[in-house]
Amino acid sequence: MSLSCIIVEDLQVAANYLRNCCEKSGQVEVRGHFSNVTDALSFLNSHTVDLIFLDVEMPGANGFELLDQIAFSPKVILTTAKSEYAYNAFQYNVSDYLMKPFTYQRFLEALAKIQPSKETISTNSATDHIYIKTDGKLIRLNNDSILYIESMGDYVKFVTIDGKKYITHNTIKNLEEKVSKQHFLKVHRSYIVNLHKIDDMRENLLFIKGNEIPVSKANKADVFRRLNIV
Amino acid sequence: MNNLKTGNTFVFNPEIDANYLNSLYGDDYMYLQEVFEAVLDDYQSLTDHIEYSYSSGNLAALRSAVHKFKPVFGFVGLTAVQQLCQDFEKTCDQAASPGELSGDYETLKNKIFQSKQIIEEEKKNLEVFNNNCS
Repeated sequence: MSLSCIIVEDLQVAANYLRNCCEKSGQVEVRGHFSNVTDALSFLNSHTVDLIFLDVEMPGANGFELLDQIAFSPKVILTTAKSEYAYNAFQYNVSDYLMKPFTYQRFLEALAKIQPSKETISTNSATDHIYIKTDGKLIRLNNDSILYIESMGDYVKFVTIDGKKYITHNTIKNLEEKVSKQHFLKVHRSYIVNLHKIDDMRENLLFIKGNEIPVSKANKADVFRRLNIV
Repeated sequence: MNNLKTGNTFVFNPEIDANYLNSLYGDDYMYLQEVFEAVLDDYQSLTDHIEYSYSSGNLAALRSAVHKFKPVFGFVGLTAVQQLCQDFEKTCDQAASPGELSGDYETLKNKIFQSKQIIEEEKKNLEVFNNNCS
């Protein structure tokens, strides 16, 4: 496996150490190091990466503000350990925390957590259904029965038209590539929606059968393109 | 000082947790020298940030500045200073004004100053050690 990453870290010694760990692992290619959110965002506006090592407290802007503004959903490993970030970490699909300084072994453990979960879902974007693995069995969900998919950290929740919720080990990023593009669109780093189920849209919210789904700034243009606006 | 070369092993200043450094870098003393150099490059600005935050009476900024500095001490094995920073952060959480922190702040400030001297000394010793090994 070779993952591309960037390091967003204003402490030089920490950034150097992290780069060294990446190179030593042979698993991660460092595409850049940025000591502030603005420079990182500028890079990510024209490049995608699989993974961001992100310090949260940096001058100028909070690391989470970077995640708010990028148009894709990379894996994120926080290089901080403040417990007050736990809620945000959950929202932003953070894979792990690394408390600086961390050992190389600990670094490898964090990397292991971001291996894609290939065995938890069987999909075929050309068909009208997907299979998800939940509660020890494979369950077939027709595309038309799914309202939306919501990120829950290392898990996702499928909400269906009959009000049921199915939780499986997977990520929005992984699913984005596997679900039918004809039916589904990522509208936020934490949400994929069934375009055929949208009732209405108000500012940055989509409404699907009474559920409010946020639309990120980065994905709003895509949403407009895909809706059949006359 | 105990920073003498004995065989192929570098003997660290007793303030430095050599086992901890070994867990981070193994016996890569060339890299360790780079770490000490990088830490010294950032040291003054990190110190200034703490002093400015304290003098301006901004507790949140002071806590944040100490939090930012804290791992630096871990990178060079000064784990006791790292812990002192951790304790100071907690003290900041409980204090209503910077005035309540004056004693703890002076202790931390002095420790930061002493630590810089240790890091500078250790960097020089590592240079000598690495030159002798190469």
